[in-house]
Amino acid sequence: MSDPVVTLYTIIVLSLVVNIGISLYGVFTRPSLVKKFICLTIFSDTLNSFAIAIGFRRVSDTYPSIAVLSSVPEESSELATFSETAVDPVPQALVLTAIVIGLAVYMFLVGLIVMYYRHYKTTHVRVVEGGSVG
Amino acid sequence: MNLREAVIAVSIALMVVLLAYTIGAGGLGPIAPSRLRDLAVSYLANTYNPWNITKSALSLEAVTAIVWDYRGLDTFFETSVLFVSIVGVALVFRGYREKLGLSGRGLSEIVKTSTRVLTPLILIAGISIAIHGHLTPGGGFQGGSFIAVLLVLMSVVFSLDFVIEKGITSSRLLTLRSIGLVGVLTTSVALLVLGLALGTHAYIFQNIAREGSPLSMPSWLLDRPTGGTLIFFNLFEALAVAAGLSLAFIVLSLRESEVEEALGKGEWYE
Repeated sequence: MSDPVVTLYTIIVLSLVVNIGISLYGVFTRPSLVKKFICLTIFSDTLNSFAIAIGFRRVSDTYPSIAVLSSVPEESSELATFSETAVDPVPQALVLTAIVIGLAVYMFLVGLIVMYYRHYKTTHVRVVEGGSVG
Repeated sequence: MNLREAVIAVSIALMVVLLAYTIGAGGLGPIAPSRLRDLAVSYLANTYNPWNITKSALSLEAVTAIVWDYRGLDTFFETSVLFVSIVGVALVFRGYREKLGLSGRGLSEIVKTSTRVLTPLILIAGISIAIHGHLTPGGGFQGGSFIAVLLVLMSVVFSLDFVIEKGITSSRLLTLRSIGLVGVLTTSVALLVLGLALGTHAYIFQNIAREGSPLSMPSWLLDRPTGGTLIFFNLFEALAVAAGLSLAFIVLSLRESEVEEALGKGEWYE
């Protein structure tokens, strides 16, 4: 823990974990479907940032580069340098897929919430169950 | 706060503490390592590697190479999930018809004029993000979402009636969406069909020559690398995503009268 980069990075990762907890609390306890939905999107965004953070690496004396070659390599030694300094592209590719699928699911969920509101004239979950508001 | 919420709060706090402890103790591997995993190193070293062409995608960007070449089948099903979700939304709202003559005023003339200036710029930036997916960060999905913002902007500034009168209806968007998906499918089997016609071996989602299959897509256009199939995939994906998201925005948009009703009533709970 002596390295300040690792210390700061650990704080970031742990704050993401706290964010997961807060958003899950919102999903479980807020009675409004819209607020549940907002908390769910915060939850998934936190998980995505978390996955990206896992792909981060340290490069001594400089910053890591993004996983893009800035020019067409002329000789194969450039590729070795590139893989020495670039961040992990695998979590980024997975997160891209996760965002698209998340978007698909959320689109359908929003549709269902709109239909729910049109049918019951409220987005409160417990009113429809017949319970009291509270 | 009743007992139920207290139990939820305590258990979530416990989860956070345990997860934080696990990560802090190195449960997900070292935080910010200086050495990458072998898989990542392999992808980085092979994404544009003309000296080892049977393992390369000839794409300067590693993420696009993974998404559309190494794991192309995953991405095809991912875009199918998006398609199915849009079909699901269209099914839930199956009585939906484009109604005209509802609150078609839009915003002021200044905003309208500046949106007219912005519209081609957004379109071109979106297309540029999409077709440079193998050269710069970005790709089909990002470019498509960029273009889909255009419809939201237009429906807010000009009103939804304007958009529909311009001919951007939900059935046309669904057709465009399907064209995009068919384009992705065609690109993915293009080399396979060519291989069958020439009597050699080829794979589905093949981009560059692989072991046992000498066929490869042209990966240079004039003096620019095109990444073989990647540029087509990104283009069709951008079309599919832009049309699909625009369709979802049209179908899911709330009418002004409905919003006013909700605002006037107010939600009396938190």
